[in-house]
Amino acid sequence: MRDMQRLADMQIDSKSELQKEKTLEEKLEILSDAAKYDVACTSSGMDRAGKKGYLGNSCASGVCHTFAADGRCVSLLKILMTNHCEYDCKYCKNRKSNDVERATFTPDEICRLTIEFYKRNYIEGLFLSSGVLKNPDYTMEKIIEALRMLRGTYKFNGYIHVKAIPGASKELIYSAGLLADRISINMELPTQDSLSKLAPNKLMANIIRPMNQISGTIAMHRLAIGKSARMERAGINDHLMNSIWGKEVNRIGTDATDRANRLLPGLQTDADAFLFPADKKDLNLGRAFAPAGQSTQMIIGATNETDLELIRTTQNLYKSFDLKRVFYSGYIPVNEDDALPEPGTPVPLLREHRLYQADWLLRYYGFFADELLSEEHPFFDDAIDPKCNWALNHLEQFPIEINTASYDMLLRVPGIGPNGVKKIVNARRYTKVDFEMLKQMRITLKRAQYFITCNGKMLYKIPLEHRFIRNRLIDVDSVEIADIGGQSVQYKQMNLFSDFNMSCTG
Amino acid sequence: MLTCIYEASASKRGHTNIKLVLEPIEQYSLLDQYIHVDADLKKAECVMKSIREKISPQVYRELAYASMAYEEEILDLIYRVLLVGFSYGADVLNMVMYREIMQFNQIRRRLGREVNHFQEFVRFHEVEKGLYVAHIEPKSRLVVALGPIFADRMPSEHFMIIDDIHKEALIHPKDEMYYLKPLNDSEYEQLLKTEEMNDTYTDLWKVFFESIAIRERANEKCQTNLFPLWTRKHAVEFKDNT
Repeated sequence: MRDMQRLADMQIDSKSELQKEKTLEEKLEILSDAAKYDVACTSSGMDRAGKKGYLGNSCASGVCHTFAADGRCVSLLKILMTNHCEYDCKYCKNRKSNDVERATFTPDEICRLTIEFYKRNYIEGLFLSSGVLKNPDYTMEKIIEALRMLRGTYKFNGYIHVKAIPGASKELIYSAGLLADRISINMELPTQDSLSKLAPNKLMANIIRPMNQISGTIAMHRLAIGKSARMERAGINDHLMNSIWGKEVNRIGTDATDRANRLLPGLQTDADAFLFPADKKDLNLGRAFAPAGQSTQMIIGATNETDLELIRTTQNLYKSFDLKRVFYSGYIPVNEDDALPEPGTPVPLLREHRLYQADWLLRYYGFFADELLSEEHPFFDDAIDPKCNWALNHLEQFPIEINTASYDMLLRVPGIGPNGVKKIVNARRYTKVDFEMLKQMRITLKRAQYFITCNGKMLYKIPLEHRFIRNRLIDVDSVEIADIGGQSVQYKQMNLFSDFNMSCTG
Repeated sequence: MLTCIYEASASKRGHTNIKLVLEPIEQYSLLDQYIHVDADLKKAECVMKSIREKISPQVYRELAYASMAYEEEILDLIYRVLLVGFSYGADVLNMVMYREIMQFNQIRRRLGREVNHFQEFVRFHEVEKGLYVAHIEPKSRLVVALGPIFADRMPSEHFMIIDDIHKEALIHPKDEMYYLKPLNDSEYEQLLKTEEMNDTYTDLWKVFFESIAIRERANEKCQTNLFPLWTRKHAVEFKDNT
């Protein structure tokens, strides 16, 4: 049986790679290049101590081992197992109809690279994704083979993030989750319409269904080892009266179909959790199923979804499936196609940044999607960040008194984050906090000063007026916006007519 | 350091009249009298014990950790923190209304970030089969803080981290406890050569590092922000092959 499989592999290799076997270096170049558009590459969410005889541990805070020329963190060895693909997703560089160089790693090559890089402190673990080789099941089996070898033969105890291939069977995804720390299925596009337009081989149901099952299985495994069913969230959320992780969302006990329906109406899902892994030995490893949770990513700017739709989908994903993270990937034009933005279109970096800011507001600040955007304003403001924008639209609630305000309100002040709040609340127990102390605590007074008082006084005498504060905050933000594109701020001559709306009539 | 603290409090000169500095002193001041203090184990243990018992073991750990920092005012700050600590007890590090506590916390945080940097950017070279050596050039004497981190990460490997600035080595034999060793010049010379011992995986890493970046998103400013130039000295991905 195994021989036949090997024979089949060799046939694939010889057909497409034209007799010549590529070197490890060439393969690494092709397959890391092919994987770079995947954004979900953190090593976080899981604390695991090292073990004698094994290699590696894992830190919940995540460790970035280097930063690439685009400023992105390199934490994991991010590679595809193969960039051969049966699918023809329009936005993807590795689609079937593209004429790119193809390569496939053997499981042993993947393991050796991971182990040797890990020992040299280059990486924190492995991120393994893949194009669809033959069919989803076959691909998934190959991925699992590599992971099994890495955990078993090579005794690797570090972080592994594995992609589940949509459409692969349940037993295989269960096995993959038992071997990995985090498992993710890329949603890519938030609606079935966009999906059928750009990814004709993918079905929304094939994405939502396993996502649902994975979240059920994670919950089951967590309960089995005496943890709560839902994943741990940032500590600050414990102090909030209301947040998307709040009490009213009680995932366990609600019907699986009902949950999935929130994202994809009309979908029938089967049993909640996976019941058997493909290989019983995977259970004997004694590992929990995806202890660092599951994540997903969405492409921004390839279709016409509004920010509101994206952020609502995000919130639903967090609430229903208890995802650990939702990642956004600004679309980079790699293919020419009528259905896509033209090549040369700039990457929507600022939009991606705004969405991440909003994502943080959901996960750490107790905001809800519908507070940030509305049907009338379905996009984020380019000039000003979502939190400042919210505060400006709710000036009636400000200024707040630093020494008496609640956790919820402190977190809603622009310029104060979860760490700042902790410091403030800690200091409040012993003394009256003043602006000097806030400065020492590294609170961003440039933003916060318009919204707070210390012992009844504001920092400067300023009118609490929408347009005035907005202009000030836009100034502060312009520096940050320039940073996103890697440039410095361009200043211009002020002009009474355009900047202060004066007109010279009469 | 602990002996200094002992002498300072035992000297009865009044706390406000004393400033603790670390040797070597670069700029002497004319108006002050300098008293040299030699380390004394007994006195040091006495201070250690009273911090642990009268304040708390946690605070002692924080102070000991912060003592690795390169800032020259750190010793004096530790002394000031202790003075506040003996009157408030275990909560002392939350007393941010005292300027010295605030300053201490700032240095402590900066040091934490520095240790973090080196946890991330240490690069090992395989010197011979199964023996890994890395060089670092930190500002603070933090190599000892890297011990528990890497011992947990690779418990069953032989490895060694060398601090080129302070000439210290952290040595971890396979499956055993790590230890710290000051290096003499000849040992150091010998160990310097390990930097050139690159193998195929170093090259593979450079290939990976180049190809993982997305050209359309290039942002050098952001990269430099997150990976400061001074920490890059031993990062192989920024070294040319020549």
